[in-house]
Formats: sequence, structure tokens, C-alpha cells
Amino acid sequence: MDDYVITVLSNIGMISFVALSAYLLLLTGVISFGQQAYFGLGAYAAGAATAMLLLPIWAGILIGACVAGLMAALVGALTLRLRGLYFSISTLAFAEMVRLVLLIVEVQVEVDGELVGPAGAEGFHDIRWMFERDISLGEFMLLIYALLALVLVALLLIERSRLGSIFRMLGSDDLLADMQGLNVVGYRVLAAGLAGVLAGIGGALYAHFTTYVEPQFFNVMLGVHALAYGLIGGLGTAFGPLIGVAIDVGFLEAVRFIQGYRMIVFGGLVALLLIFMPRGLLDEERVHRLKARFRRRGDAHAAGS
Amino acid sequence: MLELRGLSKHFGGVKALDGLDLSVREGEIFGLIGPNGSGKSTAINLICGVYAESAGTVRFSGQVMNGKAPHERLRAGIARTFQNIRLFPNLTVWQNLWVAQNSPRDVAAQGFLSRWFGATRRTRRELAELLELADLGHKGDELASNLAFGEQRRLEFARAAAARPRLLLLDEPAAGMSRQEIEDLGGRIRGLRDSGVTILLVEHVMELVMGVTEQIAVLNFGKKIAFGTPGEVQRNEAVQEAYLGTSASDSGAAGEGA
Ligand SMILES: Nc1ncnc2c1ncn2[C@@H]1O[C@H](COP(=O)(O)OP(=O)(O)OP(=O)(O)O)[C@@H](O)[C@H]1O
Ligand SMILES: [Mg+2]
Repeated sequence: MDDYVITVLSNIGMISFVALSAYLLLLTGVISFGQQAYFGLGAYAAGAATAMLLLPIWAGILIGACVAGLMAALVGALTLRLRGLYFSISTLAFAEMVRLVLLIVEVQVEVDGELVGPAGAEGFHDIRWMFERDISLGEFMLLIYALLALVLVALLLIERSRLGSIFRMLGSDDLLADMQGLNVVGYRVLAAGLAGVLAGIGGALYAHFTTYVEPQFFNVMLGVHALAYGLIGGLGTAFGPLIGVAIDVGFLEAVRFIQGYRMIVFGGLVALLLIFMPRGLLDEERVHRLKARFRRRGDAHAAGS
Repeated sequence: MLELRGLSKHFGGVKALDGLDLSVREGEIFGLIGPNGSGKSTAINLICGVYAESAGTVRFSGQVMNGKAPHERLRAGIARTFQNIRLFPNLTVWQNLWVAQNSPRDVAAQGFLSRWFGATRRTRRELAELLELADLGHKGDELASNLAFGEQRRLEFARAAAARPRLLLLDEPAAGMSRQEIEDLGGRIRGLRDSGVTILLVEHVMELVMGVTEQIAVLNFGKKIAFGTPGEVQRNEAVQEAYLGTSASDSGAAGEGA
């Protein structure tokens, strides 16, 4: 594989984390335009851990995930009482605030005679973990996909769990969920925290893959795309948003002659899908039918038997 | 067990409910009837916390419920069904029941792990029993949206039972049902009461109301106009007038469509 293919595939993998993050919130009926903030916080926190504190990469990813997750849960606890559109706007406002803060924050420490750390608008350079250890792009790509697989398995397990059903209840009728005895805000804060963790892992990987991050990258377009991926791919299963990412970053990127029109093609695709398949390619109904087909062959999972 | 005092709800200028006083005793089946638009559903919505009352108090087991969120009231023991069926269409029948188990007893018994993740063997057995009772035994893996109308009604009833309520509010559970289905429903309501659940039944199908309730309150224009045993209420002149004044067919046995 040449570096270009590896870069595209790695981008698909890393963006998938933000897509899954937005998807998890969409499941619970919450539209966030701000998941890019947690991707950014994860990137900065993980970069600081390895480049400034010289911690190993796993610690960097863990720290990135925790910082993003805690922040997301905290912001969620403050804003999730707001209804619908008001909440969505508050997510956007918070994300822009994070971006603006990162534009002015300068915290640098000296490492091997050089200053390393966030430098405001210039970004955070020299997150050189990969180079210092002579790790190739291909090897790093494997790390990305290993983590993505882990996250995906976790999400699929959650989906068949009771918690997964609760998340879907909130998405389909939150007042009814409340009348069933569920603390709607509490469960949404939980989902927001988990979603923050997912975005944070993606950001942590991104910082180490590109070796530098800047606030400009975490603008609202990333968040809007993350939402669109779930809506294209479908809300019936965690594979949905991945399909969305693959279509956008993979297919549209690969077909070069669309390059200049990419946003137009993408926008058109989203619009068409929302009209004809409002819950995406793999919606609950289709996923349910696919599962039933599998189950008829294999052994039944215990539900309902 | 349930005490309403001066309970009122105003929507703009409309007094949907206007100073309702009511006491439901533990273990009884209490009927709440009245012409269309008389405030029956509004009363249910106030009792379970969907609407905030404009005035008055809701007291349940001696506890004031005003200001409590619906999920807190469910945990206190108040469950309900809906006049227009309300299920989670994109969850399976089994999942609809599974997520309804949120009584303090279930929360304590399930523990954190089985509460958020897998179902315990006991949960499976209980839910299987509920499905059997609701005559939905073979439908567990269907999406709720794929059920027929009668099945959806039975699922809603089973879901309310899955919450282990101490008080169950039924909002026109017989709407759109055939004679046979209404008879079955009557049996289910009695069965639930015999297992210790107090029931507040809102219903237009007089056959059902007169058959199962012990006490009845009659609403008209948001006010209670009569109260008594089924026999007393049927003989009450104000009641006959209220019904004749709106739609005479309501006092018949047929019931109205959904
Ligand atoms: N959310 C609302 N907003 C405004 N007005 C409402 C609302 N809910 C009910 N009302 C009004 O309050 C009155 C009582 O309505 P309610 O639904 O309680 O009647 P009901 O006794 O349940 O009638 P039905 O037998 O038709 O179900 C009606 O005049 C209705 O139009
Ligand atoms: Mg009504």
C-alpha cells in the first residue's frame, strides 16, 4: 500500500470515531453539532501527554479519552435539560468556545532543548511519538483499526444490552421513557459522556498520526459531517455511521474527478437519503430483518424465547 | 391510596379540569367516566406527572406528588396506559417489556450489571410469563410496530404490568376492541387487581365500566358531577343529562372507535 492509500484508510478510521460519537447521541434522540470539540480536546490532551509529559501512547489515548469524556458529561449535565434545538445550539456554542480557547492557549514546555506544546493559532506541533519510535504509517493504521474494532464491539454489545434499548427508547419517545420510570436526562448525560470518550479516542489517534493539530481542524464542518454519517449509513446499528464515513471519505475521495464538487455531491446524497430513507441505509427495520434471518440459521439469542 | 384535592388544569382559557376531588382506596377498581372532552385524560396526565397542575394536590400513599417527574412517580408505583397506543415502535415486543421493569423492587433485584446489560434468568422467566398472559408468547422478537392493533393494546397493558405498579391508570383500554376482546380485558383487569394493584379505569365502554368497577366518578366540563356505585351513577339524573346532552350512544355498550 502506498502512503496515500494508508492515509485515506487511516482517515476513514479516525473520522469513524467522531461519526460513532455523533451516532451514539443520535440514538438517544439528541442532535449535537459539537462532537468535534471532544475530538479536539482528545487530540490536545493526548498530544500533551506524550509530547510534553513523555508518557507512552496508551496513556496518551487513555488521557485523551478521559478528558473528552468527562468534559462531554459535564457539558451534557449542564445543557441536556434544554430541549431539542436549544440543546443543539448550545453544543455548537460550546464547541466554538473550545476552538476559540485553543486558539489563544499557549502552554509550552522545553523537551530536549525545544519548546513543545499548544501554541495558540499556530497549533500544537511536534507530537512525534511515531517518529521517535520509528513506527510506520502502516503500523499506526493497524493501531487505529484495532481500537476501532474494539470500540465497535463494545457498541454492538451495548446495543443488544438493556442500556442499548434504553438509549433507543429515549430516541423514539423521551416522554414515554420518562413515564416508564427512566431518568431521561441522566441517561442522556451517560450517553454524552460515552460519546465524548469515542470522539476523544479518535482525536488522540489523529494527533499522533499527523504529528500536529491546530484548532482550525476542529471546526463545525467536522461535527456536521459526523452527524451526516450516521444519518446516511443508518441508525439501526453501529455499522451504519461507518458506512457513511466510507462513502464520504473513501468513495468521494477516491473518485478524483468529483473533487471540486465533493461537498455538493455529499450534500445532495444526504438530502436524497433523508427524503427516501429518513433513518439511513441501515435503519432499525432493515437491521431487524437482517438479524432475524441470521437468527433463524444460528441459535437464537435468548430474548423472547 | 390516591387523593386528589381541588385538582385543576387550565389550557389558556380552557378549564380542562376544574377543582377535582377524588379518593381511590387501595385495592379497588375505580371508574372515571364522562363525555368527550370532560377532562378524564387530563386527570390521568396530572396524576402521572405529564402535565403540571394549575392548582390542587395529588397525594399518593400519603405522599404529595406535585412537582415530581413522571419517572419518580412511576418508581413510587404509578403506571399508566394511553388512549392512543404509545409503544416504542423500533424496539421488539420483548424489549418493550424489558425496559419497562423499573420498579424499586426490580432495580434492587437486578443489580447494576443485569440492569444495564443482560437479563437474568429470573427476568426472562417473568417476561415470558407476561408475554404468555398477554397472548403474545410467539411475538417476542417482533418489532412493536409490526403488531396488529389488538396485539399492541395487549402489549401496552403487559408493559404497564411489567412496571409492577401499585396504582394503574387505564385510559380507554377498550377503545376499538371487539366484544370478545373487551371481555378478556375485563378478566385481565380483575386479575391484576386480585394481585394487589389498585386501578383507575377511564372508559367509554359502559359494559366494561359497569362490569368491573366498584366506585365511579363522573366528570363533565372538568367538574365532578356524580359519584357512587355503578348502580347509583346509572340512575343519577345529572349523569343521564350530561350524556344525553352530548352523545347518547356513549351510554350504550358498543363503545367508540380509537
Ligand atoms: N394539551 C392540551 N392543550 C390544550 N387543550 C387541551 C389539551 N389537552 C386537553 N385539552 C382540552 O381539555 C379538555 C379536556 O380534554 P381531555 O383530553 O382531558 O378529555 P377526555 O375526557 O379525555 O376526552 P375523551 O373522552 O375524548 O378522551 C378538552 O376541551 C381538550 O380540548
Ligand atoms: Mg381522553
